[in-house]
Formats: sequence, C-alpha cells, structure tokens
Amino acid sequence: MAKTYDYLFKLLLIGDSGVGKTCVLFRFSEDAFNSTFISTIGIDFKIRTIELDGKKIKLQIWDTAGQERFRTITTAYYRGAMGIMLVYDITNQKSFENIRNWIRNIEEHASQDVEKMVLGNKCDMNDRRQVSEDKGKQLAIEYGIKFMETSAKNSINVENAFFTLARDIKAKMDRKLESSSPSGKSGGQKLVKEEKPSDKRRWRCVIL
Amino acid sequence: MSEGVSGEETKGAASPIKPNHAELVKDGKNSLTLQCERCGCVVLRPGSAKFVQKELFLPHMKKKAEGTDPNGETLSDCWLVDDMYTFDNVGFTKNVGTSKYLICADCEIGPIGWHDVNIKNEFYVALDRVKHV
Repeated sequence: MAKTYDYLFKLLLIGDSGVGKTCVLFRFSEDAFNSTFISTIGIDFKIRTIELDGKKIKLQIWDTAGQERFRTITTAYYRGAMGIMLVYDITNQKSFENIRNWIRNIEEHASQDVEKMVLGNKCDMNDRRQVSEDKGKQLAIEYGIKFMETSAKNSINVENAFFTLARDIKAKMDRKLESSSPSGKSGGQKLVKEEKPSDKRRWRCVIL
Repeated sequence: MSEGVSGEETKGAASPIKPNHAELVKDGKNSLTLQCERCGCVVLRPGSAKFVQKELFLPHMKKKAEGTDPNGETLSDCWLVDDMYTFDNVGFTKNVGTSKYLICADCEIGPIGWHDVNIKNEFYVALDRVKHV
C-alpha cells in the first residue's frame, strides 16, 4: 500500500526517572484514563501524526521504559533515533544536573547528527522550583540546542516542543536531500503523499 | 493476565457480521473515521483499514456488569491494518507474551486492538472498541 505520509521521525524521551517523561510528556495527563490493565503492562511507544508546512509527519515516540534507572541507555535504544527530548524536572535540581550526563550518553551512543532539545518540565509547580529558567537556557546555549519549559498538566508548550523538534529534523533532512541532489531539488528519498487533505481539526491534544 | 488472542479467523456463519457493523464497511474498508470512543482522538482515516473477522480476546476497557467474564470478551469484527504508520494516532503497550495491545494515544483507554509481534504486518482494531464518525 502506498505511504500516507511524507516523513517518519523516530523520537526518544530521555531523562531521570520521575521527571514526568511517561506521565506527563508521553500523554495528556489530565485527560488520561486510569486503566489498571494498561498501566500494569506499561506503554512501549506511540504513533502521532502532525502536519508541518503542509507535509504529513509521523512521529514514533519512545519512552526509555525504565532503562534510565541504570543511568545508562544502550546503543540499541538509540538506533535510528532522529530526535531526542532531554527532560528534567524544574523542582528537582539533581535531574537538571544529570542532563549533562545524558548528553554525554547520547554523544557516546546515538547518531552524531541526532537533533536534541532540552525541556524543563513541571513549570506549573513554580512554588517548588529549584532550577531557574535562566539556568536551563544557559545549559542549552552551552550545548547549542533549543530549550523550553513545559507543563503537560497545564498543556504549556508540550505540543509546541514536539513541533519544534520535528521542524528542526525536517529542516535538517531537507538540507541533506538538497545537498545530495545535483539539481538542487529535494525529493529524492521523500515519500510520496497519497492521502487527501484531512479535516483541519487541530491536533487536539498535547503530544501523547 | 489473559494471553492475547484465542482463535483463528472465524469461518462461515460461526460469527456473522453484526448488523450495525455492516454499514461501516465500504468496498471491504472502513467508510468512516475511527476515533477513540472516550476522547475522540483520530485513530484511522476512512478507507485505511480492511474489514476482517478474527476472534480477539481483549480485556475489558470498562467495568462490566456481574455475570460477565471479568477478564475480558471475545470480539470478532475487526479492522485490519498492514502498516503501523497507517495509524493517525495510536499507542502500543509493552509485550504480553507475543502480544501488544493497542490503546488511544491521547487518553490511553484500551485495549482497542491487538498486534502479534511475530506477525509484522497485522494490526487489529475491534469495531466495538472505537467510534465511527
């Protein structure tokens, strides 16, 4: 069957346990259905469809599935990843300090040109804040990556963060295609869009 | 925990298509959009899945009345998708044996469907576990 999308990006969520990767980023927590059956088994990954510049993009988003407890994530998990969300909890200084370790881990195991972004999560909990927004910004500048504070609880920036990461990956990919194509035209490896334009209903939730 | 799917594809009149399901099928495919019954998140676009009958034993999504099997129910009218990226939005649970259950990507209600990790190109969504809009 012909592909119904233009791009497919594999994204990973990385960060310490408890920063809210699963409960907060991985879904729209306020609206999440508390099924004991599903939460007992756990969720492996999700597929989301977004539209950017008229292109249909499939995101396959993986959580670390608890591997982060061992403070290292294996090469297998990083394989094929095109984007990584590094997540810390603004109410937990340690989780912020560990972002450097996670970046080191990524540099060791992931593809060189993987697109990264830092998220300071739980920004709705300002009264318990341990990490200032400036600290987050500085860290991101130091590594030359983008930064945002998010709160899935209040739906702040989460969707925005995933769109930003997807847009950066797409731009990088388009540049690569352009430089590898002698005519200067992209499209060589792009998948053909087949589906009719869908209803324009906005992606109704934060990513996942 | 009950293991995924019990049977094989049903044959003949063993399990006739439910009357209210027949109208959802057009040229063997879904005529309408499949949405999460709870939050409306789009699971599949019209024409993207094939109607098949296969007995799936799925754990309940909601609490059931007494007298019914507390573990789940067998459903046989399904939508079959051959590529996971055909889904607009969907979540996959971790493996239970060789099964993965499909859930709503937004509100995580489920299971709405089932996949056997050994069969790469078969993803089933139970008609009774989604709404058709």
